[in-house]
Amino acid sequence: MSDWQRLDPRMLVVEPVSELRRFLPVLLGALLAGGFARGGGLGWELLAVAVPVAIGVARYLTTRYRILDGRVELRRGLLQRTLRTAQLDRVRTVDVTASLVHRVLGLATVRIGTGAGAEQDLELDGLRAPQAQELREALLARVAHEAHAPDDADAAAPPAAPTERPVLRLDPGWARYAPFTSAGVVAAAALLGVASQALPDSAWRLDRLPDLAPAGWGWLLLAAVGVLAAAVSSAVLAVLGYLVAHWDLTLTRTPTQWRLTRGLLTTRETSVEDARLAGVVVREPLGLRLAGAAELGAVVTGLGQGEKGTLTLVPPAPRAVVDGVAGAVLGDDRPTDAPLTAPLRTHGPAAVRRRRLRALAPAVVLVALVTASVGADLLTPWSLVLALLVLPAAIALGEDRARSLGHLASEGFLVSRSGSLARHREVLGAEHVIGWTVRDTWFQRRSGLVTLEATTAGGSQRVQVLDVPEHDGLVLAAALTPDLLAEVGYRTPPSQ
Amino acid sequence: MTSLRPPAHRVHPRARLMWQLAAGTEVLVLAVVLVATGVVADLYDLRWWMPVLLAAYAVVRVVVVPTWRFRVHRWEVTPQAAYTQTGWWARERRLAPMSRIQTVDWDQGPLERLLGLANVTITTASAAGALSIGGLDQATAETLVAELTAKAEAAGGDAT
Repeated sequence: MSDWQRLDPRMLVVEPVSELRRFLPVLLGALLAGGFARGGGLGWELLAVAVPVAIGVARYLTTRYRILDGRVELRRGLLQRTLRTAQLDRVRTVDVTASLVHRVLGLATVRIGTGAGAEQDLELDGLRAPQAQELREALLARVAHEAHAPDDADAAAPPAAPTERPVLRLDPGWARYAPFTSAGVVAAAALLGVASQALPDSAWRLDRLPDLAPAGWGWLLLAAVGVLAAAVSSAVLAVLGYLVAHWDLTLTRTPTQWRLTRGLLTTRETSVEDARLAGVVVREPLGLRLAGAAELGAVVTGLGQGEKGTLTLVPPAPRAVVDGVAGAVLGDDRPTDAPLTAPLRTHGPAAVRRRRLRALAPAVVLVALVTASVGADLLTPWSLVLALLVLPAAIALGEDRARSLGHLASEGFLVSRSGSLARHREVLGAEHVIGWTVRDTWFQRRSGLVTLEATTAGGSQRVQVLDVPEHDGLVLAAALTPDLLAEVGYRTPPSQ
Repeated sequence: MTSLRPPAHRVHPRARLMWQLAAGTEVLVLAVVLVATGVVADLYDLRWWMPVLLAAYAVVRVVVVPTWRFRVHRWEVTPQAAYTQTGWWARERRLAPMSRIQTVDWDQGPLERLLGLANVTITTASAAGALSIGGLDQATAETLVAELTAKAEAAGGDAT
């Protein structure tokens, strides 16, 4: 494969179709305008179709790629030409995606990531599906080979026979957890918003509830039915969304990589090399926690920053399933569950007080403001009752957040847990800890607490240990990176 | 030992002057705005508490914060690591090993050039892990860049 090659000719169908979709607003505009200008012929409509089609065809004709001298090159563009190059030894991730149109035509998109951010990715849009798989295998075999024999001493030794072992297959029944995620809540909130617009004002004026009875019971019933309908439909939407995104999700262990495939309409296949897998995040938002479920993300270096740095390995599923997969991922070939299930070190009374205070303070301020407003006759007394309801919620939130706090150094992993509504347990391999940030405000210094952060190249770029007593934080850091802490004169004191 | 010792070196005392100048400029702009809107344009009644509030703000920004900041800001380069401490109300100590250093940057703003100061920024593969030392003497900053670059190179590693 050393000569410039075109993408698959079937892209001549895909490109114009996607261009047409992009031009849809213009197209509709042209159709409407055409409707007004009767007798003007079909000129504008034809142009509006012909231009996108021409652009699509031109894109196909001007795009070529080749694989040569240890690099992949992609050349494209008619007026503004670009040449994008990826060194094969810098390739970190290879994704194979196929949208519905691609799948019908037997095509796939290969996305080659070099860890320099999503904009720098090299995308070969439109190879035949088997060819895409072949390319993926070839690229990743090379990555694995480089990783295992960096000094080319035994370059001749072929990689071990590929043995693939499925670690997880999605059970469609797990979609029952989808309504408990924030996606379900967001959908419900959106629907409630729509409902509030549709219903008459009187149904929402809580301050006038006494006036409504008995004449207004009808409206109240209607409101209740509306809320119920919103809840049910958001649950259904969440379940459908879950199934479309994660259908047939399979996590496979190959000798050097983890491979994840999923998707109902658009299929996605992502491979992550062992060395790039820095850790995992077990997410247990309140809803999922109450339902006995959790979600698992992998912290991957070179996936780009922010949200994209974590790859969802297990969508909402029973807690035991999540723990099992997390253990397999962390332990490579000998599963370990200590970082996931071992009891965490708590952060002590000062941290608990701080969590309580920080949850309660805004609620108290709110109640004070509402009380003042009621006193000044700006709000009806009903609103004070509502505001007072916030207090127990804030207390419960503070307690739960205090209970969540914990950390651990276990089997070479940093483990940290925090949060309530969005509780998460982060596990990061010690070798992926780049450095440390110790942050303390004046208030924290007074109670002897610090916020310790391990910086890393994957996921959200840091793992935070919130409000830990400074001594405990340093013991934790020294347990994971003893040499680094020794540089600034800190050595773990002999254990008591 | 229950707490981390602070880094060995303070930044240059002129850094305090620089922070004071920057804050002073800001306060001056606010004062001009106050006079322009309240006295010259007479958009509202200038009450006694307005200049008092501004004066209090000026004291905090020009006197308290730079002094406090100067007591906190420190740096140190050990054989295998870089260590910084910054901030005032919220203090931040950062520690990174030489083997993970990706780039060492040197930069100087107009005010810094005037005072002969410079900043050194050390980046690692983590977007959350850059160490920044502001308000160093220009010559010290240059020596520091050379030292860090040499040590980072000697420490090897792929810096990821």
